[in-house]
Amino acid sequence: MIALAGYVAIFVALGAAVGIVFVGIRTTRRGDKQALKLPVLIFLGASIASFVLLELAILSHDFSIAYVANNTSTTTPLIFLFAAGWAALEGSIVLWGLLLAVFTYLVWRGLDASDGLGVLALGVMGVVSIFWFGLMATAANPFAVCTQVANGFCADSSWWPLVSTAAPIEGVGPNPLLQNHILMAIHPPMLYVGFVGFTVPFSFAIAALWRKDSGRAWLDRTHRWSLVSWAFLAFGILLGGWWSYEVLGWGGYWAWDPVENAALLPWLAATAFIHSAVVQRKRGMLQAWNFILVITTFALTILGTFLTRSGVIASVHAFSQSTVGPLLLAFLVLIVIGSLALFAVRAPDIAQAPRLDSLSSREGYILANNLILTVFAFTVLFGTMYPLIVQAFSGDEVAVGRPFFDRAAVPLALLLLLVMGVGSISPWRVASAEVLWRRLRGAIASGLVGGALAVVVGVDSISVVITIALSVFVITAITLRFLDLARKRPESLPAASGKVFSNDLGYWGGQVAHVGLVLVAIALATTSGLAVRDTVALSRGDTAVVDGYCIEYLESFVRTEPHRVVQGVRIAVMDESCSTTKSELQPRINTYEGSSQPIGTPDVWTGWVDDVYVGIAGGNAERIELNVFVFPFQWLLWVGGFVMVAGGVIALGRKPLRRRGSLDDVEERESGKADV
Amino acid sequence: MSEKVKNVIVVAVSVIALGVIAFGFSAEPASAPTAEDRVATLSASIRCPFCSGESLADSQASVAADYRALIAERVEAGATDTEIIEEFAANFGDSFILDTSTSVWSFALWVVPIAALVLGGAVLVLMKRSASRREAT
Repeated sequence: MIALAGYVAIFVALGAAVGIVFVGIRTTRRGDKQALKLPVLIFLGASIASFVLLELAILSHDFSIAYVANNTSTTTPLIFLFAAGWAALEGSIVLWGLLLAVFTYLVWRGLDASDGLGVLALGVMGVVSIFWFGLMATAANPFAVCTQVANGFCADSSWWPLVSTAAPIEGVGPNPLLQNHILMAIHPPMLYVGFVGFTVPFSFAIAALWRKDSGRAWLDRTHRWSLVSWAFLAFGILLGGWWSYEVLGWGGYWAWDPVENAALLPWLAATAFIHSAVVQRKRGMLQAWNFILVITTFALTILGTFLTRSGVIASVHAFSQSTVGPLLLAFLVLIVIGSLALFAVRAPDIAQAPRLDSLSSREGYILANNLILTVFAFTVLFGTMYPLIVQAFSGDEVAVGRPFFDRAAVPLALLLLLVMGVGSISPWRVASAEVLWRRLRGAIASGLVGGALAVVVGVDSISVVITIALSVFVITAITLRFLDLARKRPESLPAASGKVFSNDLGYWGGQVAHVGLVLVAIALATTSGLAVRDTVALSRGDTAVVDGYCIEYLESFVRTEPHRVVQGVRIAVMDESCSTTKSELQPRINTYEGSSQPIGTPDVWTGWVDDVYVGIAGGNAERIELNVFVFPFQWLLWVGGFVMVAGGVIALGRKPLRRRGSLDDVEERESGKADV
Repeated sequence: MSEKVKNVIVVAVSVIALGVIAFGFSAEPASAPTAEDRVATLSASIRCPFCSGESLADSQASVAADYRALIAERVEAGATDTEIIEEFAANFGDSFILDTSTSVWSFALWVVPIAALVLGGAVLVLMKRSASRREAT
């Protein structure tokens, strides 16, 4: 029953998406909002229904549905049962479709009564929706019914629901890796919100191109969508890294795995887009470039999904592989060729001669930022695809991994930090050497002092010292600029600070995000450059000292839970003299029902400076082998990530823009003059 | 405080800090990597056979742990990094070596992104030039 109802819901949603496209194109001249009301509401309702029905099937353990039988079991804890609704391929597309429908509804609600651009943009969103719901109706039907059971799981299924079904007595349960930590239930939806969110700016851009609308209306109307999607993408990537740190016992959070790269790519392009959009709003430049960037960002979200789901590149994240690969690739090619063809036809109408007064100016530094970010994205993309490229040309098999990406990313990231510090405090149009020196001299001195202090306390890695110096430089530059503006106001300093901040939430939100990125950069440098790794073998009661921390093996334990067996050891983390206990850790090895591969779960103690990370490497209860890693300032990575996301949220509060020659411009020009 | 005094202070502080950094690095050259550091770097440079695309360092599979132990043994026995990498390349093939710096394909991998950076920089400069030229006429 559920299968049939779910399948009907998918077709109703598909029909409604076709309706949105049809009405959107037909009424684009008048831009009649009301004409779209019915298809949009049906689309939303049917998408919600398909999601709810899938969850219902999972929660009621309806193993006659292949997806439920192969991805859940009766012993799966409730939270992971619920998360199973999107943890595997078909379900993830259902969630994707639901988000798309919710966003379609929100965009529709924000339309004016007569809104040509908005109605056409909804039509473009409809085209994208047709693809996703088309996938669900064909190659990735979440409600496919099980027709044959073999070895306890569903071996064959039928997309057509009205056949006689077979159901295993017990389901297989989720992939052990996906039910080992709560973050795994949250991380994918966050990423999806980010991925799907970029459909909105993309659709408005395509609609604007179609209507030869070269103005900034599409940018202004999608500004919030871009920021929110960017923040969710950043948050999703952060949670993914955190999950990996907490669950995968190697103490890392980023492995340059193709699927991790696939999430980073749209984020890099989106970061470039958010910056270049500011230049178009403030200075009327880069119209054409913004179209290119938003198309690129959207195409990269589809590429990311393709890499994750097609299995074209071996990856730990490719949790499921199926026939959707070729369809995703076809959609990607269609998007890229279609969008670029439209852009090429319209380019003469929208391209404007650049009005760049000086490369040393806010817009000049943002252009440099765009250059670095796009080259960064290109390098990651090129490195990820390189094994395929080489194989296609020569048949040789090569692998590209961490050594290449680290070596390429570090100089680009350091360059980005430098430009970020200089650009953030530069005036628009022209930043003369005098103004720059005046605004940066304090930051330069502080940065060098910061680097010197790092050397004095014993940091012997040159890249860590450079990162710390640049980080202090950026934070000081932003802080001094803020204090400078606050002091020029008549109020007392705290009151003036509040005024400065709230008067330009767009700018200061951006600066908060910059500070967040700087904290992330410091953590990346210290955790990779200053980490201490050791493996110790301990009998019960033994102690060992690693990098100033005393580790004692207290006892072992075994715990049987409904869905897994937990074997673990209790470890005391103490000070160097083994006298004061700081914390007790319980690294474990979990063996899940229906899986022979045990999953290690490390445990972490976080102090003011160091993380002490302990995982079971081998041995037995008598003599246990432990990986003991010490990561300095690991917590800064998570804090910095949250600050970055908070910056994006603050920037949402930006006041609606005034016409060109806005107050911001005048203020900026005057303060620039006053400085000189 | 006058501008001149500020400038003098900034320059003096910067010079002293630079001196400390330079002295720190010349007095105490970067310490040699420990055996554990070398095992970590090496296992990050070799792809785990029979695991889906992970390096030996990242993989949780028991086979990866075995190979990490093997690397640790070889490091202890005095083998150099290059020797260990070559042993793995000989056994499993080049496609398991994630550090491409020794491969012939490494050249294009590096040249293309660098060319993109140079090309992009050139476009920026040209953009500025064409803008100034138009203003001049």
